[in-house]
Amino acid sequence: MSRQQQIAVLLQHYQGPRHQGVLADADVAMPGGSPECGGSVVIYLRGEEGRIRGLSFTGQGDIISQAATSMILEQVLDEGLTMDEVIALDYEAFVDRVGREAVGSRTRNATLGLSTLKSAVRKHQRDTLYANSTEPARKAG
Amino acid sequence: MEQDIEQKGYAHPEAVVSTEWVAERLNDTENIRIVESDEDVLLYDIGHIRNSVKIDWVEDLNDPLVRDYLDPEHFARLMGEKGIGLETTVVFYGDKNNWWATYALWVFQLFGHENVVVMDGGRIKWEQEGREMTQEVPSFPSKDYPVPTRDDEKIRAFKEDVERHLEKQGPMIDVRSPGEYSGELLHMPDYPQEGALRGGHIPGAASVPWARAVREDGSFKSADELKEIYEGEAGLNQGDDVIAYCRIGERSSHTWFVLKYLLGYDKVRNYDGSWTEWGNSVRAPIER
Repeated sequence: MSRQQQIAVLLQHYQGPRHQGVLADADVAMPGGSPECGGSVVIYLRGEEGRIRGLSFTGQGDIISQAATSMILEQVLDEGLTMDEVIALDYEAFVDRVGREAVGSRTRNATLGLSTLKSAVRKHQRDTLYANSTEPARKAG
Repeated sequence: MEQDIEQKGYAHPEAVVSTEWVAERLNDTENIRIVESDEDVLLYDIGHIRNSVKIDWVEDLNDPLVRDYLDPEHFARLMGEKGIGLETTVVFYGDKNNWWATYALWVFQLFGHENVVVMDGGRIKWEQEGREMTQEVPSFPSKDYPVPTRDDEKIRAFKEDVERHLEKQGPMIDVRSPGEYSGELLHMPDYPQEGALRGGHIPGAASVPWARAVREDGSFKSADELKEIYEGEAGLNQGDDVIAYCRIGERSSHTWFVLKYLLGYDKVRNYDGSWTEWGNSVRAPIER
């Protein structure tokens, strides 16, 4: 894909973001980035037994960060990736998917959504682990 | 209320041009080079002012290895490629209220290219006025730009300069957000490599977030309005030797421009090491 084609895809996502909005019954709302500089996003995640049941984002900022967040959410939901599969996603491969020529030196902007999504998944896994480990004690108590 | 630049009372009104002024000179490519410099690196690709060229702060103005700006040889080469000669008037504009435009202008001044102006209101004002935009990337004959000398003394402050400034209790302006100034925000979430180990501000620095200098339409406030902020609130006095800083020196270049050109402070320096250097330095004094 040429640089211009990559930019066209990014613009499609920027102007018509997929899975945008607050997920009302989210288990995790994970912020990433900064509205002051570059872009910022919040990833909303609902999950169950290692599977992703709901996913959305809100955000503001530059074209690359917002469009790439839309792209990664679309990929995860279309492919039905599990939480472990999300954690295993490779940043460099994702930048290739977004379009390295269009992204240029702004790889961090391109991976803002993915890194925030991974943080959301890790938090969900930690919360689940903690809930499972304390559940018997609660019952006993 | 929109005012003509001449009515805004600036110390150096010649450093700012209106969107109208630019629109009338789009074809004067021999004497004028319009430069778009944005934070959002793709904005130029989706539409820009006709006959403008793009200069990117990361890929064009930074040294790729050392934390510094490009060297004189690379600056001369960049100028040549963009068709900019010593006599060319460079008109900067960009997104985020000209934040990155003033940053690029500041770097140009390190190399002594004095013939620089900012288009008041930047990209947003041009767009809001419904003016012509294009995706066509212009090509200009390259120019033979002599390798300049870079002067880091007059408008740039290093950490040692700030330390000396601190000793004599010189005025400083912290242009970051209130959360960064107070130390509540240690670094931007997810950007730890651009953060700092300690939060707060340089002792004695006044807090004036950079964007207070602009109106809603992106244009600069009048001199009287700016004086109220920088002199009335922050306590600066004409003739002061001032240092401005932020996180990596980009937002503070905007304040540097405001103080130097709009309010006429001759001795203003931008500390580009800024909080990412100060807040990580062992034993650097910090106030919260």
